[in-house]
Amino acid sequence: MNRLPWWMGGILMSGLLLMTFSIFGADRPIGASTYVSYFAGIIFDLDPKEYSYLREIKDSGAWEGVMLLGVLFGGFITSVFLTKTFRFSLIPTGWKKYKNHSIISRLLWSFFAGFIMIIGARLAGGCTSGHFMSGMSQIAISAMIFGVVVMATLVITGKLFYNTKDNA
Amino acid sequence: MRIVVETAGDDFASRIVQMFENVINQGHGSLVLVFLIGIMFGGIIQYTRVDKFEKIAGFSMLKDTIVPKMLFLTVGLTSIGLYFMIDAGAAHYHVKPIIWQGLIIGGILFGISMAILGKCPGTGPVSIAEGRIDVLIGAIGGLLGGLVFTLYYDEVFKPLMGESSGKLVLPELFPGSEETAVLIFGLVVILVAILIPKVELEDEEENRRLEEKK
Repeated sequence: MNRLPWWMGGILMSGLLLMTFSIFGADRPIGASTYVSYFAGIIFDLDPKEYSYLREIKDSGAWEGVMLLGVLFGGFITSVFLTKTFRFSLIPTGWKKYKNHSIISRLLWSFFAGFIMIIGARLAGGCTSGHFMSGMSQIAISAMIFGVVVMATLVITGKLFYNTKDNA
Repeated sequence: MRIVVETAGDDFASRIVQMFENVINQGHGSLVLVFLIGIMFGGIIQYTRVDKFEKIAGFSMLKDTIVPKMLFLTVGLTSIGLYFMIDAGAAHYHVKPIIWQGLIIGGILFGISMAILGKCPGTGPVSIAEGRIDVLIGAIGGLLGGLVFTLYYDEVFKPLMGESSGKLVLPELFPGSEETAVLIFGLVVILVAILIPKVELEDEEENRRLEEKK
């Protein structure tokens, strides 16, 4: 079996969150969207002295930046040795089945979605990790508002954007 | 003994070193631990395959429910565990503020893009590490999004987010019976995770490839 069942994933992820939250771990939640703005600041050579947002995210951006390097490494190792799914690809099977076979279409939509995803996450102050997992685990009202809006929009977009009828 | 490395430059390499330096000094776990948290995070996501387009975009089409099942189970278990850890002084709250406009506008943009990309900022890097070029293009879009947000934060985005209405956690609404409120919340969320019917959208091409490899 090269896939863990969902309940095992939930238990492991919960253990990881609790460890990260604990004072013996990192004494902070897991987040995974601040690093994008943080790296954008570095790559586009923006001076934190000029941009207040870079000063705001200085610490959490760095923390998530290091974590991201771990995520890339962990994801790579797991995909090579455990799931054995590593290979270069341009278009997901599900996209071919429910959208189209055009690589250009997939890449353009990916670019567009990536762009508004980070704007959205930064407006809300978090993403699936920071709000949904870490926030909801603290039973924070902000996370619940975000969760409800995201779930509703996600499902509506899925219905409108894809041809969901199975005509295989 | 504490070693402090001075890197004063503002070129790319210095700023990367400053990132490590910052993590070493900010007191949220050692550099190695933060890196390890990342490895485990990436490993769990990759090994459960919840980063796959078929799982996330599949959920948006309601053809796959593995992501919500795992998410809800994680939240249910963690909420109970975390509450007692905080009670025992072994952890702290890190609650994000209620900024209505930011949460709603941001949530809408996030939901739309999550359905189209079939990833989120935590699962995206895991897919890139698996060789998904389309997601890498999405990440480049994300970097530009982060750039635009940073550039126009003061003029456009901060006003758009609106005022914070403070921080609130649900148990505070039930003074005197916080513990019960947390237990009920946690158990209900776990129950929801179990009760969501399990449907899966398979990646037939990948399954075939893996079958041939055996």
